[in-house]
Amino acid sequence: MKTDDLIRALAADSQPPRPFRAGLAAMALIAAVLGVSVVFLGMAGPRAGLMSALGQPMIAAKSALPLMLFLLALPVTVEMMRPERLPRLPRALILPIALAVVLWVTAFATLPEDLRFADVSRFALTECLGLIIGLSLPSLGLAFMVLRRGAPASPLLAGAMAGVTIGSGTAAGYSLFCTQDNPLFYVTWYGVAILAVTILAAIIGSRALRW
Amino acid sequence: MTDRETHWSALLRAAMAGDGHAYALFLGQITPVLRGIVRARGRSLGVEGQEDVLQEVLIAIHTKRHTWDQTAPLLPWLYAVTRHKVVDAYRRRGNSLHLSIEDFVDVLEAEPGPDHLAARDSARLIGQLDARSAAIVRAVSLDGQSTAEVGARMDMTEGAVRVALHRAIQKMARLARGLER
Repeated sequence: MKTDDLIRALAADSQPPRPFRAGLAAMALIAAVLGVSVVFLGMAGPRAGLMSALGQPMIAAKSALPLMLFLLALPVTVEMMRPERLPRLPRALILPIALAVVLWVTAFATLPEDLRFADVSRFALTECLGLIIGLSLPSLGLAFMVLRRGAPASPLLAGAMAGVTIGSGTAAGYSLFCTQDNPLFYVTWYGVAILAVTILAAIIGSRALRW
Repeated sequence: MTDRETHWSALLRAAMAGDGHAYALFLGQITPVLRGIVRARGRSLGVEGQEDVLQEVLIAIHTKRHTWDQTAPLLPWLYAVTRHKVVDAYRRRGNSLHLSIEDFVDVLEAEPGPDHLAARDSARLIGQLDARSAAIVRAVSLDGQSTAEVGARMDMTEGAVRVALHRAIQKMARLARGLER
Protein backbone atom coordinates (compact mmCIF):
# COMPACT_ATOMS: atom_id res chain seq x y z
CA MET A 1 0.00 0.00 0.00
CA LYS A 2 1.38 3.38 -0.93
CA THR A 3 1.78 5.84 1.88
CA ASP A 4 -0.43 8.41 0.14
CA ASP A 5 -3.18 5.80 -0.15
CA LEU A 6 -2.83 4.98 3.52
CA ILE A 7 -3.17 8.68 4.35
CA ARG A 8 -6.42 8.84 2.37
CA ALA A 9 -7.76 5.81 4.22
CA LEU A 10 -6.81 7.27 7.61
CA ALA A 11 -8.27 10.67 6.71
CA ALA A 12 -11.55 9.02 5.71
CA ASP A 13 -11.74 7.50 9.20
CA SER A 14 -12.18 10.98 10.65
CA GLN A 15 -14.87 10.40 13.24
CA PRO A 16 -13.75 12.41 16.29
CA PRO A 17 -12.22 10.02 18.82
CA ARG A 18 -13.16 10.24 22.46
CA PRO A 19 -10.20 12.03 24.09
CA PHE A 20 -8.19 10.19 26.73
CA ARG A 21 -8.90 12.15 29.92
CA ALA A 22 -6.52 11.56 32.79
CA GLY A 23 -9.17 12.54 35.34
CA LEU A 24 -11.68 10.04 33.97
CA ALA A 25 -9.10 7.25 33.85
CA ALA A 26 -8.15 8.00 37.47
CA MET A 27 -11.79 7.89 38.50
CA ALA A 28 -12.20 4.55 36.74
CA LEU A 29 -9.28 3.12 38.71
CA ILE A 30 -10.69 4.49 41.97
CA ALA A 31 -14.08 3.00 41.11
CA ALA A 32 -12.48 -0.39 40.34
CA VAL A 33 -10.70 -0.52 43.72
CA LEU A 34 -13.62 0.92 45.64
CA GLY A 35 -16.15 -1.37 43.97
CA VAL A 36 -14.25 -4.56 44.73
CA SER A 37 -13.50 -3.42 48.31
CA VAL A 38 -17.13 -2.55 49.00
CA VAL A 39 -18.33 -5.90 47.67
CA PHE A 40 -15.71 -7.74 49.74
CA LEU A 41 -16.44 -5.80 52.95
CA GLY A 42 -20.15 -6.23 52.31
CA MET A 43 -19.71 -10.01 52.16
CA ALA A 44 -16.98 -10.56 54.76
CA GLY A 45 -17.84 -7.61 57.00
CA PRO A 46 -15.35 -5.14 58.44
CA ARG A 47 -13.42 -6.16 61.56
CA ALA A 48 -15.15 -5.90 64.94
CA GLY A 49 -14.61 -2.54 66.60
CA LEU A 50 -13.25 -0.92 63.42
CA MET A 51 -13.76 2.64 64.59
CA SER A 52 -11.98 2.25 67.92
CA ALA A 53 -9.19 0.30 66.20
CA LEU A 54 -8.64 3.13 63.72
CA GLY A 55 -8.21 5.46 66.70
CA GLN A 56 -4.92 3.76 67.49
CA PRO A 57 -2.07 5.10 65.33
CA MET A 58 -0.32 1.74 64.90
CA ILE A 59 -3.53 0.22 63.56
CA ALA A 60 -4.60 3.28 61.58
CA ALA A 61 -1.22 3.16 59.81
CA LYS A 62 -2.23 -0.23 58.35
CA SER A 63 -4.91 1.57 56.34
CA ALA A 64 -3.24 4.96 55.99
CA LEU A 65 0.06 3.79 54.46
CA PRO A 66 -1.40 1.77 51.57
CA LEU A 67 -3.98 4.52 51.03
CA MET A 68 -1.18 7.07 50.78
CA LEU A 69 0.71 4.88 48.31
CA PHE A 70 -2.48 4.46 46.28
CA LEU A 71 -3.13 8.20 46.14
CA LEU A 72 0.49 8.94 45.14
CA ALA A 73 0.72 6.17 42.55
CA LEU A 74 -2.65 6.85 40.89
CA PRO A 75 -1.76 10.13 39.10
CA VAL A 76 1.63 8.71 38.05
CA THR A 77 -0.06 5.68 36.47
CA VAL A 78 -2.54 7.81 34.57
CA GLU A 79 0.10 10.31 33.41
CA MET A 80 2.21 7.47 32.02
CA MET A 81 -0.53 6.74 29.49
CA ARG A 82 0.62 9.66 27.34
CA PRO A 83 3.59 8.80 25.13
CA GLU A 84 5.47 12.08 25.61
CA ARG A 85 5.54 11.80 29.40
CA LEU A 86 8.81 10.15 30.26
CA PRO A 87 8.42 7.26 32.67
CA ARG A 88 9.83 9.09 35.66
CA LEU A 89 8.91 8.03 39.16
CA PRO A 90 8.26 10.91 41.56
CA ARG A 91 10.26 10.92 44.76
CA ALA A 92 7.07 11.26 46.79
CA LEU A 93 6.41 7.55 46.19
CA ILE A 94 9.28 6.80 48.56
CA LEU A 95 7.45 8.50 51.45
CA PRO A 96 4.91 5.76 52.32
CA ILE A 97 7.60 3.12 51.78
CA ALA A 98 10.04 4.93 54.09
CA LEU A 99 7.32 5.37 56.71
CA ALA A 100 6.55 1.65 56.49
CA VAL A 101 10.21 0.79 57.03
CA VAL A 102 10.40 3.11 60.06
CA LEU A 103 7.25 1.52 61.44
CA TRP A 104 8.67 -1.97 60.94
CA VAL A 105 11.98 -1.13 62.64
CA THR A 106 10.23 0.62 65.54
CA ALA A 107 7.92 -2.33 66.09
CA PHE A 108 10.85 -4.72 65.92
CA ALA A 109 12.75 -2.73 68.53
CA THR A 110 9.84 -2.31 70.95
CA LEU A 111 8.15 -5.71 70.81
CA PRO A 112 9.47 -8.48 73.05
CA GLU A 113 11.22 -11.19 71.10
CA ASP A 114 8.56 -13.88 71.48
CA LEU A 115 5.78 -11.57 70.23
CA ARG A 116 7.51 -10.26 67.11
CA PHE A 117 6.49 -12.98 64.72
CA ALA A 118 3.87 -14.70 66.86
CA ASP A 119 1.08 -13.89 64.38
CA VAL A 120 2.73 -15.61 61.43
CA SER A 121 0.86 -18.79 60.61
CA ARG A 122 0.06 -20.58 57.40
CA PHE A 123 -3.58 -19.57 57.71
CA ALA A 124 -2.78 -15.91 58.40
CA LEU A 125 -0.40 -15.69 55.44
CA THR A 126 -2.78 -17.44 53.06
CA GLU A 127 -5.61 -15.18 54.16
CA CYS A 128 -3.62 -11.96 53.86
CA LEU A 129 -1.70 -12.68 50.64
CA GLY A 130 -4.51 -14.63 49.01
CA LEU A 131 -7.15 -12.00 49.65
CA ILE A 132 -5.08 -8.94 48.69
CA ILE A 133 -3.77 -10.57 45.50
CA GLY A 134 -7.10 -12.24 44.70
CA LEU A 135 -9.13 -9.07 45.24
CA SER A 136 -6.64 -7.12 43.11
CA LEU A 137 -7.25 -9.31 40.07
CA PRO A 138 -10.75 -8.07 39.12
CA SER A 139 -9.72 -4.44 39.72
CA LEU A 140 -6.59 -4.99 37.66
CA GLY A 141 -8.71 -6.36 34.82
CA LEU A 142 -10.96 -3.30 34.92
CA ALA A 143 -7.94 -0.99 35.13
CA PHE A 144 -6.30 -2.50 32.05
CA MET A 145 -9.54 -2.15 30.09
CA VAL A 146 -9.34 1.60 30.68
CA LEU A 147 -5.56 1.94 30.34
CA ARG A 148 -5.46 0.09 27.02
CA ARG A 149 -6.68 3.28 25.38
CA GLY A 150 -3.47 4.95 26.47
CA ALA A 151 -0.10 5.00 24.75
CA PRO A 152 2.59 4.61 27.41
CA ALA A 153 6.23 5.12 26.46
CA SER A 154 7.03 2.00 28.49
CA PRO A 155 4.18 -0.54 28.68
CA LEU A 156 6.15 -2.59 31.23
CA LEU A 157 6.65 0.32 33.63
CA ALA A 158 3.11 1.58 33.11
CA GLY A 159 1.81 -1.91 33.89
CA ALA A 160 3.95 -2.03 37.03
CA MET A 161 2.63 1.35 38.19
CA ALA A 162 -0.93 0.16 37.58
CA GLY A 163 -0.06 -2.82 39.79
CA VAL A 164 1.29 -0.59 42.59
CA THR A 165 -1.90 1.49 42.38
CA ILE A 166 -4.37 -1.39 42.37
CA GLY A 167 -2.38 -3.48 44.87
CA SER A 168 -2.04 -0.67 47.42
CA GLY A 169 -5.64 0.48 46.97
CA THR A 170 -6.88 -3.08 47.48
CA ALA A 171 -4.63 -3.51 50.54
CA ALA A 172 -6.12 -0.33 52.02
CA GLY A 173 -9.63 -1.73 51.52
CA TYR A 174 -8.63 -5.14 52.87
CA SER A 175 -7.09 -3.55 55.99
CA LEU A 176 -10.58 -2.68 57.24
CA PHE A 177 -11.28 -6.41 57.47
CA CYS A 178 -7.85 -7.57 58.65
CA THR A 179 -7.22 -8.05 62.40
CA GLN A 180 -3.44 -8.46 62.17
CA ASP A 181 -2.36 -5.34 64.01
CA ASN A 182 1.33 -6.12 64.43
CA PRO A 183 3.29 -3.82 62.07
CA LEU A 184 5.90 -6.55 61.64
CA PHE A 185 3.14 -8.68 60.14
CA TYR A 186 1.20 -6.21 58.06
CA VAL A 187 4.11 -4.14 56.73
CA THR A 188 5.89 -7.30 55.59
CA TRP A 189 2.97 -9.19 54.11
CA TYR A 190 1.01 -6.25 52.67
CA GLY A 191 4.32 -5.28 51.09
CA VAL A 192 4.83 -8.74 49.62
CA ALA A 193 1.24 -8.80 48.33
CA ILE A 194 1.55 -5.37 46.67
CA LEU A 195 4.88 -6.38 45.16
CA ALA A 196 3.36 -9.57 43.75
CA VAL A 197 0.49 -7.61 42.17
CA THR A 198 3.05 -5.14 40.77
CA ILE A 199 5.13 -7.86 39.14
CA LEU A 200 2.04 -9.55 37.73
CA ALA A 201 0.73 -6.24 36.37
CA ALA A 202 4.11 -5.42 34.82
CA ILE A 203 4.04 -8.73 32.95
CA ILE A 204 0.43 -8.20 31.81
CA GLY A 205 1.13 -4.56 30.96
CA SER A 206 4.12 -5.34 28.78
CA ARG A 207 1.69 -7.21 26.52
CA ALA A 208 -1.69 -5.54 27.07
CA LEU A 209 -0.44 -1.95 26.95
CA ARG A 210 1.69 -2.39 23.82
CA TRP A 211 0.68 -0.15 20.95
CA MET B 1 9.59 24.72 14.81
CA THR B 2 7.04 27.04 16.38
CA ASP B 3 5.45 27.37 12.95
CA ARG B 4 5.02 23.64 12.75
CA GLU B 5 3.70 23.59 16.29
CA THR B 6 1.03 26.24 15.78
CA HIS B 7 0.08 25.09 12.31
CA TRP B 8 -0.06 21.37 12.92
CA SER B 9 -1.73 21.62 16.31
CA ALA B 10 -4.45 23.82 14.78
CA LEU B 11 -4.98 21.27 12.00
CA LEU B 12 -5.12 18.29 14.33
CA ARG B 13 -7.38 20.13 16.75
CA ALA B 14 -9.79 20.81 13.88
CA ALA B 15 -9.43 17.21 12.74
CA MET B 16 -10.29 15.89 16.17
CA ALA B 17 -13.42 18.00 16.13
CA GLY B 18 -14.44 16.07 13.00
CA ASP B 19 -12.92 18.11 10.14
CA GLY B 20 -11.79 15.42 7.70
CA HIS B 21 -10.23 17.92 5.31
CA ALA B 22 -8.00 19.37 8.06
CA TYR B 23 -7.05 15.83 9.01
CA ALA B 24 -5.97 14.94 5.47
CA LEU B 25 -3.92 18.15 5.36
CA PHE B 26 -2.34 17.36 8.73
CA LEU B 27 -1.36 13.82 7.69
CA GLY B 28 -0.08 15.08 4.35
CA GLN B 29 2.09 17.72 5.98
CA ILE B 30 3.60 15.60 8.76
CA THR B 31 4.42 12.70 6.44
CA PRO B 32 7.50 14.22 4.70
CA VAL B 33 8.93 15.25 8.07
CA LEU B 34 8.28 11.85 9.64
CA ARG B 35 9.78 10.23 6.54
CA GLY B 36 12.89 12.33 7.13
CA ILE B 37 13.09 11.10 10.72
CA VAL B 38 12.60 7.46 9.76
CA ARG B 39 15.19 7.79 6.95
CA ALA B 40 17.72 9.41 9.24
CA ARG B 41 17.23 6.95 12.07
CA GLY B 42 16.64 3.79 10.13
CA ARG B 43 19.29 3.73 7.43
CA SER B 44 19.86 0.01 7.76
CA LEU B 45 16.21 -0.75 7.05
CA GLY B 46 16.39 0.03 3.36
CA VAL B 47 14.00 2.34 1.57
CA GLU B 48 11.13 -0.15 1.50
CA GLY B 49 11.58 -1.00 5.16
CA GLN B 50 11.68 2.67 6.02
CA GLU B 51 8.41 3.26 4.21
CA ASP B 52 6.84 0.34 6.13
CA VAL B 53 7.97 1.89 9.41
CA LEU B 54 6.63 5.28 8.31
CA GLN B 55 3.26 3.67 7.67
CA GLU B 56 3.33 2.05 11.09
CA VAL B 57 4.04 5.48 12.59
CA LEU B 58 1.11 7.03 10.70
CA ILE B 59 -1.24 4.26 11.81
CA ALA B 60 -0.10 4.71 15.43
CA ILE B 61 -0.65 8.47 15.22
CA HIS B 62 -4.11 7.76 13.87
CA THR B 63 -5.16 5.13 16.39
CA LYS B 64 -3.66 6.96 19.39
CA ARG B 65 -4.48 10.56 18.48
CA HIS B 66 -6.94 10.69 21.37
CA THR B 67 -3.97 10.52 23.79
CA TRP B 68 -2.78 13.96 22.67
CA ASP B 69 -3.75 16.42 25.39
CA GLN B 70 -5.10 19.27 23.24
CA THR B 71 -4.07 21.84 25.83
CA ALA B 72 -0.41 20.70 25.59
CA PRO B 73 2.04 21.25 22.70
CA LEU B 74 1.62 18.80 19.83
CA LEU B 75 5.22 18.27 18.68
CA PRO B 76 6.49 16.48 21.83
CA TRP B 77 3.56 14.10 21.52
CA LEU B 78 4.06 13.61 17.78
CA TYR B 79 7.78 12.94 18.10
CA ALA B 80 7.25 10.63 21.09
CA VAL B 81 4.84 8.48 19.07
CA THR B 82 7.29 8.46 16.14
CA ARG B 83 10.23 7.54 18.34
CA HIS B 84 8.24 4.78 20.03
CA LYS B 85 7.22 3.21 16.73
CA VAL B 86 10.69 3.52 15.15
CA VAL B 87 12.31 1.87 18.18
CA ASP B 88 9.53 -0.74 18.18
CA ALA B 89 10.05 -1.47 14.50
CA TYR B 90 13.76 -1.97 15.09
CA ARG B 91 13.13 -4.22 18.05
CA ARG B 92 10.77 -6.40 16.07
CA ARG B 93 13.33 -6.64 13.31
CA GLY B 94 15.83 -7.90 15.86
CA ASN B 95 17.92 -4.77 16.31
CA SER B 96 17.94 -2.21 19.02
CA LEU B 97 18.10 1.51 18.67
CA HIS B 98 18.26 4.34 21.11
CA LEU B 99 16.74 7.63 20.17
CA SER B 100 16.57 10.74 22.23
CA ILE B 101 14.00 13.42 21.64
CA GLU B 102 16.78 15.84 20.66
CA ASP B 103 17.33 13.79 17.53
CA PHE B 104 14.03 15.06 16.22
CA VAL B 105 14.36 18.73 16.77
CA ASP B 106 15.34 19.92 13.32
CA VAL B 107 14.60 17.24 10.85
CA LEU B 108 14.53 18.10 7.18
CA GLU B 109 11.74 16.83 5.06
CA ALA B 110 12.62 13.86 2.95
CA GLU B 111 11.63 13.42 -0.66
CA PRO B 112 9.20 10.62 -1.26
CA GLY B 113 10.94 7.38 -2.09
CA PRO B 114 10.23 4.85 -4.82
CA ASP B 115 6.92 4.32 -3.07
CA HIS B 116 5.47 6.99 -5.32
CA LEU B 117 7.02 5.74 -8.49
CA ALA B 118 6.41 2.03 -8.31
CA ALA B 119 3.18 0.40 -7.29
CA ARG B 120 4.04 -1.07 -3.96
CA ASP B 121 2.88 -4.42 -2.86
CA SER B 122 -0.47 -3.63 -1.30
CA ALA B 123 -0.82 -7.13 0.08
CA ARG B 124 1.12 -6.44 3.26
CA LEU B 125 -1.65 -4.82 5.27
CA ILE B 126 -4.78 -4.69 3.13
CA GLY B 127 -4.29 -8.21 1.87
CA GLN B 128 -4.80 -9.60 5.36
CA LEU B 129 -8.22 -7.99 5.82
CA ASP B 130 -11.45 -9.76 4.99
CA ALA B 131 -12.72 -9.15 1.46
CA ARG B 132 -15.33 -6.52 2.28
CA SER B 133 -13.06 -4.50 4.57
CA ALA B 134 -10.27 -4.67 2.00
CA ALA B 135 -12.68 -3.44 -0.71
CA ILE B 136 -13.71 -0.49 1.46
CA VAL B 137 -10.13 0.47 2.30
CA ARG B 138 -9.14 0.20 -1.37
CA ALA B 139 -12.10 2.28 -2.53
CA VAL B 140 -11.35 5.04 -0.03
CA SER B 141 -7.59 5.01 -0.45
CA LEU B 142 -6.69 3.91 -3.97
CA ASP B 143 -9.73 5.35 -5.73
CA GLY B 144 -10.16 8.29 -3.37
CA GLN B 145 -13.89 7.74 -2.99
CA SER B 146 -15.80 9.29 -0.11
CA THR B 147 -17.44 7.05 2.46
CA ALA B 148 -20.81 8.17 1.05
CA GLU B 149 -19.84 7.07 -2.47
CA VAL B 150 -18.55 3.74 -1.23
CA GLY B 151 -21.79 3.23 0.67
CA ALA B 152 -23.93 3.92 -2.39
CA ARG B 153 -21.85 1.57 -4.53
CA MET B 154 -21.69 -1.27 -1.98
CA ASP B 155 -25.31 -0.88 -0.88
CA MET B 156 -24.37 0.07 2.67
CA THR B 157 -25.27 3.12 4.74
CA GLU B 158 -22.51 5.69 5.08
CA GLY B 159 -22.45 5.02 8.81
CA ALA B 160 -21.87 1.31 8.22
CA VAL B 161 -19.01 2.12 5.82
CA ARG B 162 -17.44 4.41 8.43
CA VAL B 163 -17.70 1.74 11.10
CA ALA B 164 -16.26 -0.93 8.78
CA LEU B 165 -13.42 1.40 7.74
CA HIS B 166 -12.67 2.25 11.36
CA ARG B 167 -12.53 -1.44 12.30
CA ALA B 168 -10.37 -2.25 9.27
CA ILE B 169 -7.83 0.42 10.27
CA GLN B 170 -7.78 -0.81 13.88
CA LYS B 171 -7.14 -4.29 12.51
CA MET B 172 -4.35 -2.96 10.27
CA ALA B 173 -2.82 -1.34 13.34
CA ARG B 174 -2.80 -4.70 15.12
CA LEU B 175 -1.37 -6.39 12.03
CA ALA B 176 1.36 -3.77 11.80
CA ARG B 177 2.27 -4.44 15.43
CA GLY B 178 2.60 -8.11 14.62
CA LEU B 179 -0.11 -9.08 17.10
CA GLU B 180 -2.18 -10.88 14.47
CA ARG B 181 -1.20 -12.91 11.51
